[in-house]
Amino acid sequence: MAMAAPWATIMATGIFISMAEDRLLLWQWLSPAFPIGAFAYSQGLEQPMATGAVRNIADVEAWVTTTLRFGSPRMDAIFLAQARAGADPDLLSDLLLSYATCPERETELLDQGRAFAALIGTITGKTVSIRPYPVAVGLATRALDVPTEEVLSLFLHGAAAQMISAATRFLPLGQSESQALLSRLAPLFTQLATEAATASLDDIATFTPGADMAAMRHETLEVRIFRT
Amino acid sequence: MLDMRDQPALQRSHGTARLGIVARHGRPALADLYQAGSAKVFLPRGGGAPDEAVFLNTSGGLTGGDRISFALTLAPGLRLTATTQTAERAYASPGPAAALDVDLTVGAGARLDWLPQETILFEGSHLRRTTRVSLAADATCLLSETLVLGRLAMGEDVTAARLLDRRSVLRDGRPVWSDAVTIDRESLACRTARASLGPARALAVIALIAPGAEDAAGALRPLLEAPDCETALSAWNGRLILRLTARDSWPLKRQMARLLGQLRGSALPRVWQMNGDIA
Repeated sequence: MAMAAPWATIMATGIFISMAEDRLLLWQWLSPAFPIGAFAYSQGLEQPMATGAVRNIADVEAWVTTTLRFGSPRMDAIFLAQARAGADPDLLSDLLLSYATCPERETELLDQGRAFAALIGTITGKTVSIRPYPVAVGLATRALDVPTEEVLSLFLHGAAAQMISAATRFLPLGQSESQALLSRLAPLFTQLATEAATASLDDIATFTPGADMAAMRHETLEVRIFRT
Repeated sequence: MLDMRDQPALQRSHGTARLGIVARHGRPALADLYQAGSAKVFLPRGGGAPDEAVFLNTSGGLTGGDRISFALTLAPGLRLTATTQTAERAYASPGPAAALDVDLTVGAGARLDWLPQETILFEGSHLRRTTRVSLAADATCLLSETLVLGRLAMGEDVTAARLLDRRSVLRDGRPVWSDAVTIDRESLACRTARASLGPARALAVIALIAPGAEDAAGALRPLLEAPDCETALSAWNGRLILRLTARDSWPLKRQMARLLGQLRGSALPRVWQMNGDIA
């Protein structure tokens, strides 16, 4: 018999088998292949791409990094962590929607939340209320025995992947340079996830005026490929 | 709570100014006026039917440990404009943050325009501001807030200011619009990014929260193009939001004057005009 790999020893206990299964579910639910229509949204990035303000991989990296650190993805991560930690879902949903900078942001939150709730309802056989997407993910992952930082890292990875995928198709960018960018951002996802896991609702604040204004202006863009 | 805040403290400015306006024979009348410490409020029209209130921090600026609170209650059916006497200056604060709390309550069918003058953040400043508006079911509020990084005319750069500026509007106790701006050393280091401020040094938000607020968007769209000022508009579901950025505060204020004039159907508060820098 070959020497047992370290993970095999860990897997020997029921706790870790359950955790590994939960981790698989987490990856599935937060995968870009989970059919919530993530490909249809750019989080406002289409606007500066359409005007030529964001033209290349360096511009995309600066945009994605700034919005992740100071913008709505960080805010969404805090809402997700709060929902997962047991805060009142009605309060969180109202509050998150009240922070929407424009109707398209509201659409992005609610349409993805609705699609996510429908899928989780089918998978778990339970009735799942429709919530803004980050709140919905927080509620669904309450049942998963995985660290909150891991949920948040994957969630932020998804938010970045959504913007980078939009840029890859729109500009376009090469597949390999896009994947290299997403890989470079890994330390940022874990750092932001660690911060968001312990942040409170009072820490919700942003500083991305350019991205906020781009998202607002997107609604009057004449030719639109993305819904936001 | 008020008593606690009103205790004089050495080398720190504390102040509370509170105003209540009620309807008397169908006209607005002063019902409650409380002032303590370095916070003041006055009605430019004095004894007549007040339509404008002006709040003031007499300490001349905010620094570490200052606590200023402004409160205003507007009775059902009335219309009032409230503003601040001058620009608010947040100075270097080596110790704890300065705190500025604004608490506004608007009765059924009433309309409050809260249009404070700009806040200038100096290098090393540390300010926490909370603006909370409680609206009755069908009340209206028009809010504006302007932030300027450093004294632009002096060419000052700001790299280490800290700000947490939170605004929330509740209708029947439920949040309907929230906006929170955070500035710190890290976000200032990235402020020239396109998703941040880009070349701008001044920014503003205008929010009309009212049943049918989105109907006002059509008349504003033709005004969005303005020299040296970027403006974005979005309006939906009882909310109309404008965001502005500019390299200098003057084109920003000029553009705000156009937009607010359109939204109000009347002139800006007199103290804005008295500064002489609004045409």
